[in-house]
Amino acid sequence: MPDLYIFKAQIGLFDPLALQGQNVCVHYVQNEYYRKVDFLEGIPPFQCINIGVVAAGTVSARTMVANLEMADGEFGLFRWYPIDDAQIRLFHPFGLAKWQLRNLQVPVDMNIVNRDPNLVTTEIAVWQNNEPAMEAVNGHAFALGAVRIIAIGYRFHTVNLEGTGKYADPSLVADLKAGKQPCTHVWASGRAIGD
Amino acid sequence: MGLLVADRIIVRGPIVNFIVAGAANAAVVFTIPVLAGQLIGTKSVKIHRVNLYNTAPAGNTQVMIGTGVAGAFAALLPALDSFNGLNDSYGPETDLIEAESFLNVTAYPVALAGGSIDVQVEVIVVG
Repeated sequence: MPDLYIFKAQIGLFDPLALQGQNVCVHYVQNEYYRKVDFLEGIPPFQCINIGVVAAGTVSARTMVANLEMADGEFGLFRWYPIDDAQIRLFHPFGLAKWQLRNLQVPVDMNIVNRDPNLVTTEIAVWQNNEPAMEAVNGHAFALGAVRIIAIGYRFHTVNLEGTGKYADPSLVADLKAGKQPCTHVWASGRAIGD
Repeated sequence: MGLLVADRIIVRGPIVNFIVAGAANAAVVFTIPVLAGQLIGTKSVKIHRVNLYNTAPAGNTQVMIGTGVAGAFAALLPALDSFNGLNDSYGPETDLIEAESFLNVTAYPVALAGGSIDVQVEVIVVG
């Protein structure tokens, strides 16, 4: 949709990227899924993971964020921030570094609420059970008793426009692929450098 | 678009117990965060608050906050009063100087008549 898209910056919180009855294309790694939204709701801020104790000067194990997992046919749109002083590296999915530049993987720390108050740059989408994973980097000379992450977002239930199911609509999918009908593209994973 | 505001991650350091006085016995009360190859960015700290817990009979004395130990000690703040058997807290509301340091923050009591003094600093991590 023209005014609904990922990474939208505005005053206040953030918009859903699609509304009831609108078409989306969920990209997961190299796959594309053409879907129609038939239900959506907001997800209030909640603690999606506590990575746990991180010893002084160490990096935690890479930990799946199981609470961001979505049901079949659904995707979530989330922005997030940590509330403990660690730098968080995101992997989406588990084996794929998110925000990977040529020389480093950009982390998120507590300063994100000052530097990017709407959390625009933290926005991620999660397709079904393909949730992200996180690592916490503790640069302090003391252990962190917990590393907790707060997420806020939207939940979208979708129906499949492809295949031969009840909601299949091959001509609409062809139009979406050709750009003849509006469709919001959603990236639900990272992408390898040079891929 | 949100408004840009000052970066402020406020972190409390550990409580460090001093049973001996003098610059020769200065000890680290806050270590600059660093983890080679892992932590992104150069960090510094601004002293935001200093908490002193004077256990009698430590006596009325002063606590120095700075960098370095022994002969290398350099003060970041004026001497802070610590009163026998009392807790003292110095922060923005008492016009504590917000000194910035790129080195580990150290402290020592100027004198001790006995007892001990716990020192805890609260810092703003910048970077």
